[in-house]
Amino acid sequence: MSAGLSGAVGAADPVGAVGSGTTPVVTLGTRALAPVFVRLKLSLLRNGLRQSSGRTAAYVVSVVFALLIAAGQLLGLILLRGNDGAATLVVVLTALVALGWAMLPLFFPSGDETLDPSRLVMLPLRPQALIGALLAASLVGIGPLFTLCLVLGSAIAVAHGAAAVVVSVFAVPLALLVCVALSRAVAAANIRLLTSRKGRDLAVLSGLVIAVGIQFVNFGVQRLNEAGGLSALDPVADVVRWLPPASAIGAVDSVSEGAYGRAVPQLLLSLGALAALLYWWRRSLVKLMTAPDGSTITAAAGPARKESASGLSGLLPAGRTGTVMQRSLRYVWRDPKTKAAWVTSLAVGLIVPLVNALQGNGSIYLACFAAGMLGIQMYNQFGQDTSAFWMVALTISSTHNAYLELRARAFALLVITLPYSALVTILTAALLGDWQALPEALGLSFALLGAMMATGAVASARFPYSIPQDSAYKNVAPGQAGLAWISILGGMLGGALLCAPVIGLTIALHASGANGWTWLVFPVGTAYGALIAWAGVRLAAPRTASRLPEILTAVSKG
Amino acid sequence: MVGLLDTSKRDTEGQCGMPEHVPDRTAERTERAATPEAAAGGARTAAPPAVRVEGLWKTFGEQVAVAGIDLDLPAGQFVGLVGPNGAGKTTTLSMVTGLLRPDMGRVQVAGHDVWGDPAAVKARIGVLPEGLRLFERLSGRELLGYTGRLRGLPGDEVDKRATQLLDVLDLAGSQHKLVVDYSTGMRKKIGLAAALLHNPEVLFLDEPFEGVDPVSAQTIRGVLERYTASGATVVFSSHVMELVESLCDWVAVMAAGRIRAQGTLAEVRGDAPSLQSAFLELVGAQGRDTGESLDWLGGAR
Repeated sequence: MSAGLSGAVGAADPVGAVGSGTTPVVTLGTRALAPVFVRLKLSLLRNGLRQSSGRTAAYVVSVVFALLIAAGQLLGLILLRGNDGAATLVVVLTALVALGWAMLPLFFPSGDETLDPSRLVMLPLRPQALIGALLAASLVGIGPLFTLCLVLGSAIAVAHGAAAVVVSVFAVPLALLVCVALSRAVAAANIRLLTSRKGRDLAVLSGLVIAVGIQFVNFGVQRLNEAGGLSALDPVADVVRWLPPASAIGAVDSVSEGAYGRAVPQLLLSLGALAALLYWWRRSLVKLMTAPDGSTITAAAGPARKESASGLSGLLPAGRTGTVMQRSLRYVWRDPKTKAAWVTSLAVGLIVPLVNALQGNGSIYLACFAAGMLGIQMYNQFGQDTSAFWMVALTISSTHNAYLELRARAFALLVITLPYSALVTILTAALLGDWQALPEALGLSFALLGAMMATGAVASARFPYSIPQDSAYKNVAPGQAGLAWISILGGMLGGALLCAPVIGLTIALHASGANGWTWLVFPVGTAYGALIAWAGVRLAAPRTASRLPEILTAVSKG
Repeated sequence: MVGLLDTSKRDTEGQCGMPEHVPDRTAERTERAATPEAAAGGARTAAPPAVRVEGLWKTFGEQVAVAGIDLDLPAGQFVGLVGPNGAGKTTTLSMVTGLLRPDMGRVQVAGHDVWGDPAAVKARIGVLPEGLRLFERLSGRELLGYTGRLRGLPGDEVDKRATQLLDVLDLAGSQHKLVVDYSTGMRKKIGLAAALLHNPEVLFLDEPFEGVDPVSAQTIRGVLERYTASGATVVFSSHVMELVESLCDWVAVMAAGRIRAQGTLAEVRGDAPSLQSAFLELVGAQGRDTGESLDWLGGAR
């Protein structure tokens, strides 16, 4: 093996390739290349660990965690053997994992360096050999191991009889290969998108898909439990068992049941899918390696953005207030990081009160959750600017400038949050049929919103921190996590405390039996929220004006 | 006035006092070269230096980034701040423009203290920093509109100036594209436009030509030359000596957090054949030969 390896390494070396110009061109086959790529993958894994001890620790923890889950899954699936729902569950699980593999390159475009074929363009390699080698390298890692455990467990759970075991030996690697090839083919087909700015934006937004997706999965699992277990999935499984790679596992189940006529086409479907994927991948690779790099094209082309200012800016006030509001609102829509934060807040703020109301154990006061979630957006206002804050810092030369800046940012937030929290409160009241409590819930919401604006403004000035822009999953720059926690936790506690008078009023009105007067909470809460937000911005303005260089330093770390 | 320069460029202070509005720059150069002392006496009181730095210090942890520098940059001129990477140029410019708080020292821009009277200073300066982002999710035109309005200019005036700047800087075709999709040269140009929008007295540019293609560089150069011809001051940092030599009237050489020399181009260059060799001598980087260690390179193949 070592002799073959060293020869292959020499040929894969670009200098060696150039030097061999006079010698007859030797193109390497998959057999020689595969060990090189597997070694490359292992080296990259190892070097990634070497970068910092923190990263090593995080990686080891995640590996242990993944292995534990994988082992747990394997065990769980084996225990499921003989259960009625096993056949249904395994095909659905396999399909879900395959879906994950397809999404993986879209969400983590820079996750695997060997994934990027444009790095291999300069090497004298034929696509056919490259594909075999890359496929082999793709099988190294936690992801494939995790998948193997799942597929193996699935096969064990449903394989009954010698014939089924024989089919499993064939079906398990097949399912794994389809997953990996799917991921590679999707990546190769989208490499131009993934290396462009749009692709990176998409990757940042993917965090949001996951965050919101978890809520839905959570909701779905709850419904499943209510609907009486796995049998609710049966109609889904009837379709999925024909979809590769789940059809490979489906074939094992079919053989166990003696339905050989169903097993053969199921297996053939998976096999055909693997062939089709490899063909697609190969075509994309050839195109990638012979066509010009995408980065040279995108800089020149790209649709022009039409001015949409006329409609929006006409409504906004003139001067600093309108200018800052317009910029903030544009960023909510255009900046992927800001957009992700907003959509998460909007979605969670809506889902929590409504789902609880739907399930019958809700309370209208939970609608305040929307105001709380949205109020968080006021925190770390300058961190959201990133180092572009210098443009703001250069135009703030007095406390009044800082006051206008902060107030305009609060206004921009309120343009969205005020109607939205009102809407969520009204929807919750409608679902609960609790119209009587609507005014006080609105009053509490607005008071909480005002308190969040106030504490958010002060925290923005006092505890700014950087938000890394390139990652979907990091919202705090290394070393500033403490600052972020102080800012948000302290701010939320402070916000709750600041609301105490309004909460007290509500409780007092209920306790004294003056239920006819609870509508009073609405005007009082609204006025109190406005007053306290104004006071907070007022308090934050001099701090902002006097700490501009410190804020700039703090937000420029990402 | 501190004037504790450790170099022998005493007579440079005379250059502070050059008249602000000089119609013919070649004539000005000749005059200055011929009689540097003649201009020194009377004019010094007339025009204050564009930038006056006294005893400026900045340390980051253990590392001293700027070690007590004094600078007097004359008004109405093209001033180059040169030095190797890590010399403290960016730190100095950040402190002078109020973006970084110094540990010690005083900075005056156009006669106003940067930390004592920020309103007066911020209205008079334009800045193009290096390594800081812009609001990149705005289009080029939106960015200019935003900056101008934050500067307190009336909306119509901002739009008029933005149109002209975009035309002159050859960005009109990309004005509706997001800045995040701009190339390096286009970013520098839109940053320059944003810095010029309010017609500042002093313009600070950190590495304005770094990574910029020759065409964009020529455009930037043309705009800057026109701007200084009107009596405004441009202070820019660079480590490309040929560029500094061809552009600047006045040069300050920085290395390891200190000012090694400052004065007119001719003074700093001294007897050396070019600014490059004068610079290498000043920062003590001469005589570094590659020797015979790479003797195989270019040998028999």
